[in-house]
Amino acid sequence: MFTGRRGEVLRALVDRMIPADDVPGGWEAGVGDYLARLFAGDLAAQALPYALGLDALDAEAAAAHGCGFVELADERQDALLARLADGGATQVWPLAPARFVAWSADLCAEGFYGDPANGGNRGGVAWAMIGYDPKRVLPGPPA
Amino acid sequence: MTTYDVIVVGAGAGGGIVAGVLAEAGHRVLVLERGRQYRVDEVGLDHLRNHRLARYGHNTGPDLDGNPRVAVDIEGAARLLRPHEGGYHNNAMAVGGGTLVYGAQAWRFLPRDFRMASTYGVPPGSSLADWPISYDDLAEDYARAEREIGVAGDAAAACFHPRREPYPMPAVADNPQRHLLAGAAARLGWNTHPVPLAINTVPYQGRPACVQCGMCVGFACPSDSKNGTFNTLLPRARASGRCTLVANAQAERVLSDASGRVVGVAYWTIADGRAQRHEARADRVVLSAGAIESARLLLNSPTAREPAGLGNGHDQVGRSLQGHYYPGALAVMPDAVYDGNGPGVTIATTQFNHGNPGIIGGAMLANEFIPMPLSFWYAWRPADAPRWGLAAKRAMRDGFRRTVSVQGPVQEIPSPTARVTIDPAVRDRFGIPVVRLSGHTHPETLRTAAYMRDRAIDWLRATAAERVWARPIALGLSAGQHQAGTCRMGDDARTSVCDRFGRVHGHDNLLVADGGLHVTNGGFNPVLTIMALAFRVARRLITT
Repeated sequence: MFTGRRGEVLRALVDRMIPADDVPGGWEAGVGDYLARLFAGDLAAQALPYALGLDALDAEAAAAHGCGFVELADERQDALLARLADGGATQVWPLAPARFVAWSADLCAEGFYGDPANGGNRGGVAWAMIGYDPKRVLPGPPA
Repeated sequence: MTTYDVIVVGAGAGGGIVAGVLAEAGHRVLVLERGRQYRVDEVGLDHLRNHRLARYGHNTGPDLDGNPRVAVDIEGAARLLRPHEGGYHNNAMAVGGGTLVYGAQAWRFLPRDFRMASTYGVPPGSSLADWPISYDDLAEDYARAEREIGVAGDAAAACFHPRREPYPMPAVADNPQRHLLAGAAARLGWNTHPVPLAINTVPYQGRPACVQCGMCVGFACPSDSKNGTFNTLLPRARASGRCTLVANAQAERVLSDASGRVVGVAYWTIADGRAQRHEARADRVVLSAGAIESARLLLNSPTAREPAGLGNGHDQVGRSLQGHYYPGALAVMPDAVYDGNGPGVTIATTQFNHGNPGIIGGAMLANEFIPMPLSFWYAWRPADAPRWGLAAKRAMRDGFRRTVSVQGPVQEIPSPTARVTIDPAVRDRFGIPVVRLSGHTHPETLRTAAYMRDRAIDWLRATAAERVWARPIALGLSAGQHQAGTCRMGDDARTSVCDRFGRVHGHDNLLVADGGLHVTNGGFNPVLTIMALAFRVARRLITT
């Protein structure tokens, strides 16, 4: 579902939702792995609508700039996402584009700030960034 | 077929205590629990699937599939809901029930909480009423719950309360938020004191002190220092040799004989993938399935004598469903107010539980448990916080350790139309008709909630906060983990379901022992009151 061109659009989108600075961005932190697992599991029924949203995002970029979303500079990607978040769409969308942007933001945050066992937040990088330092060590199952 | 002295439906806060007291007193007890026993590693640490943030599931029963409810919103739209979804009003289904995964705030209600109608009058359209018992009637049972479950607190600081005895354990340690908020409250002239918690601050009853992991709410305790029925009264019940606990057992109905007298419980289990129906017999049946499911059981158990359901001759079962509105405010401080040490909730004020001009009741206000980063993302940020991009990332980085939350459980003004009924069409995996939730709290609750939100704002503004904000308050149904009121106690069978000892009116051997008994739900977390009432119900049963 999220391979090929769609996979590239997803990766670019994840890194605009959570860009790299001195801390890794969303994709490097494993948000893509989180999303792959989520859309194969709890959100399997939502995978197609989300994928169609990625297609629409790419089409918006092409309509506005003559190249795909992936090929846009960061600033133009941000400007396009801001326009969509305000409801300014020209292409056919499977859901309201503002909703798509907000949903993407929450999904990426879940991967980035969630527990690493969910696939993102690799090495606890997001928790170290915000200063969340749980002391928690779970006992294993009884021998 | 084995005949038991007592069948207890539900092994949570209420049922666990009833089972323990009765088994130790020599009764043969069968406990039916629809959840199962969990080890701490089975509850796990999934930040997206737990009882604090149930984004895609949770970490105990009920299973997401096969256990639906129907909820009707205030616009009249009915939705079919799974257990982790908002509006389902779930509480953990497990051995120990909600006590396995709760934050464990262990408050006594105040004397006036038992006399709300006498104190404030009855607003039109509400079912506000006095309890048939007073605080004094429950004081010994509160003390026993604090002792036998295990509560840490500071009785000297809790001088607003007529308690006579010290807490069995010293209060939780200080943290930076307590200093900040104590100073602000002093400037405002408000009382403050530590929050009583059913968490070991010192070794107690053979289990160690809290390791301060900060994952109390929504999860099980890794050091077994959080106290519930699963590690106190239920093990005592089993140690007596007289208690049989059947987990994964879904009660279908209370069984009655031809005369309408209660004789047992029908329940279902799944063995080798096949559903099996069982009937167990007992002299007495105690329903402790929680306010919503206990009401469901009564309504699903009609007889020729009571065709609308047991105890429902006056159409009272399931009404006045209530929980708590949780208004509050948040603030970002100039410096970090986070030290990472759990539980994190350290300071409360009871300045506004009563005596607020023009307002009915009020609430305790307290700071919050250590938030998970994702609970912070979803609930702790102002509405205008950036949602994506570098600005969002930097706001999380900049705000997580500097944000403080103050909130509290508003004593709801009950409405008879906020209720549990049985859905006419939807059934669970065993074919048992499911709950339909409808109605909303009385509008007076909104006024109290807005008043308390403003007091939370006052408290935070009296600190050096850079910015203070609050979440909106809207009319709706609240129940959830604090669910109460559906089987209320009273002396008049026309306006209540149970008598002052938890017996269902018209029955001498059918009882309720859970939050359903609460006439009103206090401006506090209700679990210690559920526990005290369970001790009271059980105490009466072993002497009659």
